[in-house]
Amino acid sequence: MIKHESIETNAGLLIILTLVAISIGGLVEIVPLFYINDTVEDVRTKEGYEAVRPYTPLESAGRDIYIREGCFLCHSQMIRPFRDEDLRYGHYSLAAESKYDHPFQWGSKRTGPDLARVGGKYSNEWHVQHMIAPRSVVPESIMPNYPWLLENELHYADIKKRLIAQKRVGVPYSLTDEEYEENVKRFGPEVAKWLDINRAEENLLAQAQANNYDGKPEKLTEMDALIAYLQVLGTMVDFKQYDESYFVKFRVSKAGGTDSE
Amino acid sequence: MAQAAAVGTAQQYNYDIVKKFAIMALVWGVLGMSVGTYIASELAFPFLNFDIPYITFGRLRPVHTTLVIFGFGGSALFATSYYVVQRTCQTRLWSDFLANFTFWGWQVGVAAGALSYMLGYSQGREYAEFEWPLDIAIAVVWVAYFVVYVQTLRRRSQPHIYVANWFYLAFILATALLHIFNNLAVPVDLFTLKSYSLFSGAQDAMTQWWYGHNAVGFFLTAAFLGMMYYFVPKQAGRPVYSYRLSIIHFWALIFLYMWVGTHHLHWTAIPDWTSTLAATFSILLLMPSWGGMINGIMTLSGAWDKLRSDPIMLFLITSLSFYGMSTFEGPMMSLKSVNALSHYTDWTVGHVHSGALGWVAMVSFGSMYHLIPRLYDTKIYSTRLIYVHFWLATIGIVLYITSMWVSGIGQGLLLRAFDEYGNLAYTFVESVAFMHIPLVVRALGGGFFVAGILTMAYNVTMTILRAKREQAEIEAKIAAKMAASA
Amino acid sequence: MLAEAWSWITDLGNSKVAALLIFFFTFVGILLYVFTGRKRAERLESYKYIPFQDDDEPESEIETVKDDEHR
Repeated sequence: MIKHESIETNAGLLIILTLVAISIGGLVEIVPLFYINDTVEDVRTKEGYEAVRPYTPLESAGRDIYIREGCFLCHSQMIRPFRDEDLRYGHYSLAAESKYDHPFQWGSKRTGPDLARVGGKYSNEWHVQHMIAPRSVVPESIMPNYPWLLENELHYADIKKRLIAQKRVGVPYSLTDEEYEENVKRFGPEVAKWLDINRAEENLLAQAQANNYDGKPEKLTEMDALIAYLQVLGTMVDFKQYDESYFVKFRVSKAGGTDSE
Repeated sequence: MAQAAAVGTAQQYNYDIVKKFAIMALVWGVLGMSVGTYIASELAFPFLNFDIPYITFGRLRPVHTTLVIFGFGGSALFATSYYVVQRTCQTRLWSDFLANFTFWGWQVGVAAGALSYMLGYSQGREYAEFEWPLDIAIAVVWVAYFVVYVQTLRRRSQPHIYVANWFYLAFILATALLHIFNNLAVPVDLFTLKSYSLFSGAQDAMTQWWYGHNAVGFFLTAAFLGMMYYFVPKQAGRPVYSYRLSIIHFWALIFLYMWVGTHHLHWTAIPDWTSTLAATFSILLLMPSWGGMINGIMTLSGAWDKLRSDPIMLFLITSLSFYGMSTFEGPMMSLKSVNALSHYTDWTVGHVHSGALGWVAMVSFGSMYHLIPRLYDTKIYSTRLIYVHFWLATIGIVLYITSMWVSGIGQGLLLRAFDEYGNLAYTFVESVAFMHIPLVVRALGGGFFVAGILTMAYNVTMTILRAKREQAEIEAKIAAKMAASA
Repeated sequence: MLAEAWSWITDLGNSKVAALLIFFFTFVGILLYVFTGRKRAERLESYKYIPFQDDDEPESEIETVKDDEHR
């Protein structure tokens, strides 16, 4: 038997035993990650395609701005299964809805309201005005003004590289013809077009042109991208298609056995 | 030259590196806490954002957390761990070069991180916002730290490794593990700072809060317990209450902490059982936490009068009391039912600060007041000013915590209130309006705390200046004597 | 008998109970080890004086060594 004395007097042994002690808890938290695909809900569109898709190039660029400005420090993107949150924000968030989020932006603090389902709630014009001067639309708001978003031109020269990097970490953007065909099967022909890295720049411009998010058709600004991102949040899953009990089973325990605790 | 320098403790031990880290801890402390007070004021008075991108709340908040956790806390830990390992092993720190490397690497890393957030480069992960090149640089510095520390331990002049060193060692190991796994990411290309995390969604959330909680557990707790196990007995002039309790404390604490990170994700899109497991272990964690607190406080048993005569002791014992308080509050908040109310609100912010200001900062202040006069072989400039600092800090913390309770619990209750028809009684922004007064009081509390550390900075500066003057006088005397005898 | 025990251990459904027992008995083992035996208690408690072994008596040394160096 190892004497504690030999632990105290041997730096190497102390290091190893410490590593063992801190690894057990870590493993129990990390190992479930390998099973977690079982807890990500399978959600489909009416046509049977996967409902949750990767972001379009413009939305992805908007998301990068969202991260740059540290929005997640005041806005969560994770609705919890409570009645008040359901009334205030909508259906509770599914794991599936953030499965392409590198990194996740669930947040830990609501200095402002949750944004998980903000998409489609307000008009583009409202968003522009709210972003430039929040207190002009919500007098009690304590959000900073973000006027530069409407002035800064959107940098999208490296959009392909950004999508390729996301592809490397597992987001199904397509580069080759086979990948494109695979996306047609998974997401449908309409969506697959938006996920084609080779067409990233033209897609980005087309989306901005078609929607004119910032109200300035002559200029592609950071505001365009950010609002494109905000307007898609929480809109991908059509909850009318599903019975509530369908989602519950994913959360109540799969990996790791029973829910006896 | 090396032989000529072999003079006294200052040369027997490497005090130079300890001095540098201690001074930088104060510098980062003043900066980081000032930024904290500023962003607190931004929430109370949003015009303070001044429409300048670099100083908006969203960009300054990681600057605040990085400067106080890694700048202030990190430098304080480097300083004290390098001091404690030398004094308890009675040997000089291994490799001056590598020790200096950890100093410059750490300082440059913290400064570059803060600047990069202001410029808009962030990984978007709380307390791990450093982008990938900085992550790599920090990992290298950390390996150097580990090597210096372990090599020094191996040179110790006696068989037993004192328990404070165990805590420091566990902190170094765990931080390495957490840092590496949580920062796995793929950069856009080699010439930009932007990267995308390897994991996504729920997996990413689990990894991040495994990191986030254990950054608290090992960086802000285990390491500072190491500090406690050396400086409390030294300042009290009596050994720790029970060495055997400290052994149990150590193993139980480091084992249990790693299980509980998921309690930051209650009611989110993760499997329920992970959440339940984390809550269970959070409750268990109360025991080693309080075991450690009792061990520290009881060190003073039979000599309580020191609290009346020694302001440094006041800092140390108060810090342990806050440690006990926040390690009780933590498990309580990890209960799913309490968490449903407290999560996403200022209650969490208040809880973090009762730990960060009450425990981490107070125990560091106490230890530094003990440490600095010894490093410079002198006495502290003003004991009165230590009392002033103590009261400023304590008032600041009390204002901070109570205002955050009001704000957090208040908001939680407002948001879940229904009217008689079953509709929501309040809009979100009504809860924001309610929070205005508590947010003002919180900023005021922060202001008190900053005033405290400024007092300390002044006191320490004067102490060092006087030590330099005394040194110069002694040297002049010796020179005169030599001139006379020649 | 042995096969039965083996199948219980390898059943993942029982892993939680098994892990709980292992951790609990390890903990109890450490407790017993640390808090039993008078000699061990004395030895362990003697370590709490380590921080005081280098107590600031070197201060007098500093002076003498310095003088030596300058002469």
